[in-house]
Amino acid sequence: MRSFVGLFAFAAAFGAVIAVVYWFVAHEEAAGTALLAVMATGLAFAAAYAVVAERDARLEGDDPNETPQMAAGDDLGVFTTNSPWPVLIALCTLALFTGLLWSPLLGIAGLVGMILCFWRLGAESART
Amino acid sequence: MIEWLTTTDHKKIGIMYVVSTLSFFVIAGVLAALIRAQLAVPGNTLLGPHAYNQVFTLHGTAMIFLVIAPFGIGLANYLVPLQIGAPDVAFPRLNATGLWLFVLGGITVFAGLATYGGAAATGWTAYAPINEFFVGTGAGQDLFFIGLLMTSISTILTSINLLVTVFLFRAPGMTMWRIPIFTWEIVATAVLIIMAFPSLAAAFAMALIERHLGGHFFDAAYGGNPILYQHLFWFFGHPEVYVLILPYFGIVTEIIATFSRKPVFGYVGMVIAAFAIAALSLGVWAHHMFTTGAVSNPFFSAVSFLIAVPTGVKFVNWIGTMWKGSIALQVPMLFAIGFLLNFLIGGITGVMIASPPIDYQAHDSYFIVQHFHYTIGGGSMFALFGALYFWFPKMFGVKLEEGIGRWVFALLFLGFNATFIPMGFMGMEGMARRVYTYPAVGHLPLLNAVASAGALIMTLGVALFFIDVLVSIRRRAPVEDDPWGGYSLEWMTTSPPPEFNFKTLPAIRSRRPAIDSRPGSV
Ligand code: HEM
Ligand SMILES: [Cu+2]
Repeated sequence: MRSFVGLFAFAAAFGAVIAVVYWFVAHEEAAGTALLAVMATGLAFAAAYAVVAERDARLEGDDPNETPQMAAGDDLGVFTTNSPWPVLIALCTLALFTGLLWSPLLGIAGLVGMILCFWRLGAESART
Repeated sequence: MIEWLTTTDHKKIGIMYVVSTLSFFVIAGVLAALIRAQLAVPGNTLLGPHAYNQVFTLHGTAMIFLVIAPFGIGLANYLVPLQIGAPDVAFPRLNATGLWLFVLGGITVFAGLATYGGAAATGWTAYAPINEFFVGTGAGQDLFFIGLLMTSISTILTSINLLVTVFLFRAPGMTMWRIPIFTWEIVATAVLIIMAFPSLAAAFAMALIERHLGGHFFDAAYGGNPILYQHLFWFFGHPEVYVLILPYFGIVTEIIATFSRKPVFGYVGMVIAAFAIAALSLGVWAHHMFTTGAVSNPFFSAVSFLIAVPTGVKFVNWIGTMWKGSIALQVPMLFAIGFLLNFLIGGITGVMIASPPIDYQAHDSYFIVQHFHYTIGGGSMFALFGALYFWFPKMFGVKLEEGIGRWVFALLFLGFNATFIPMGFMGMEGMARRVYTYPAVGHLPLLNAVASAGALIMTLGVALFFIDVLVSIRRRAPVEDDPWGGYSLEWMTTSPPPEFNFKTLPAIRSRRPAIDSRPGSV
């Protein structure tokens, strides 16, 4: 976790510095400053969120002396091998986007299909 | 069939990425051949102007969005869990969703060819205002935006997935400072993608709103600003070019270390350089806009020069890794060395055009075409072939024929340089990019003829590669789990790896677990 927070905090600081410098050299041009500021804020949020949400996480991968034997029995969760929903969600996304431009019916079908898929996917991941 | 459509196994997904990106590569390659056929002689009429616009647009779009970038992501899908000793990626279903969004998005872009008015014809950048009228009015342009929106969403989802995987699913003892450089480069790439792609998605969504819902973001007649599109596009676009190269830096590092039989020289420096490049690349976007006169040229020029520093660090590290190593010149290593030579030219021309006075001269000329092909083609594409030769045995349990592979390398290296060296000179003689024909003045006819001949040689090289794949698969020579003497974790499991990757996880005590485990090492 420390590495994650460090990486994102560092990147956020970099974004902030660049945004300020950019403002001073190019303040007639707001788009760039806005883009950089949004970027810095987003990164800072990710870092701060990780600090708060994962306060007491402990990862085997962070301990240089940990062995597979010591970690045995730890629960990594279940990994699926197959699921029909991803490919269907992708198809529905395509239907939704093309439908939005040319055919409201197709667009609605895509949206409904997508909601159904997410619902079944949620049910599936609750089971396994 | 159903098995592959519904799989959430990162290895199968990785293989499908490789297969689909190679398919798009073949199509984009045919388009490139068409371009060079049209330009082989001055005043040619093989392709008309509108057909030519579609051809180069689809060629560039496909190579960037559907080949080089997703191949890196797809290879990461396959390798990252293996390299860090994880059973799969963090979110396998999300991963599968990303794959299918990408494949469908790619097909959608090409579907434009079947529409009245043809496919997108605005170049891969789809600048405003041409994305609004003229060439851009057809449904093909809409399909371009929709397809690329889907691939952008896909890329963002997959990056989040890979980041979480690396941060949370490392095997016991696999600390961050022990993960292989390829995985590090993927972390940097993923961060970059998450920063940059939303800007592209916004630009494309705004363009669609202009086209269909009467928006006027980029339309000066209504108080909009076309330069805004360029900002949004290049805020994505320059980081994107590093998305196109960082994974390939990783590939080259792994290959060089393995075939020099030495640890990576300056591992920590390598990682820091990757992040310095990623960070700086977020602050240079308007070096693509020097000639608009609407940006701060000194700022963007200075930051662009800075990028050359961490890139130089990488070169020092690669050479340091080879230095006094016992170098084995097998095919993957040949491609890595080809990468170093070509990418060096790409990097140097990059620094040249990062100087605004030079760029005013070179902008939108064939000099730029030469620059970015030396980085993406001579760089990334060579590393891509190196990766195929290097990890093919891991993925399929079959080694590609070395003898044919050497010919593939020779043809590609010769053909590539013959095609693109002349382009620098064409640019200096004033040939603009994206023109469908040119007059017979100066050296232009000669230079173009050489470039087209080079393209023919490259085409033969690519064809020979696929022949190599067929021959090797038919022959099915038995291969060891670790045919190269690799150092990272993926070489410590079977080839191909079992479901969930490792029967038993080895203990990880250093950056080179596979070397530690070999008899005779301490
Ligand atoms: C030392 C590092 C680099 C510098 C300083 C640099 C600089 C530049 C500059 C100034 C331009 C704009 C030229 C113009 O349109 O007038 C440009 C274009 C371009 N560069 Fe680079 N570059 C570098 C590395 C790279 C790398 C690593 C890649 C890709 C792997 C790349 C890909 C491109 C592409 C695709 C374009 C053309 C975009 C277009 O107009 O379609 N560059 N580069
Ligand atoms: Cu750039």
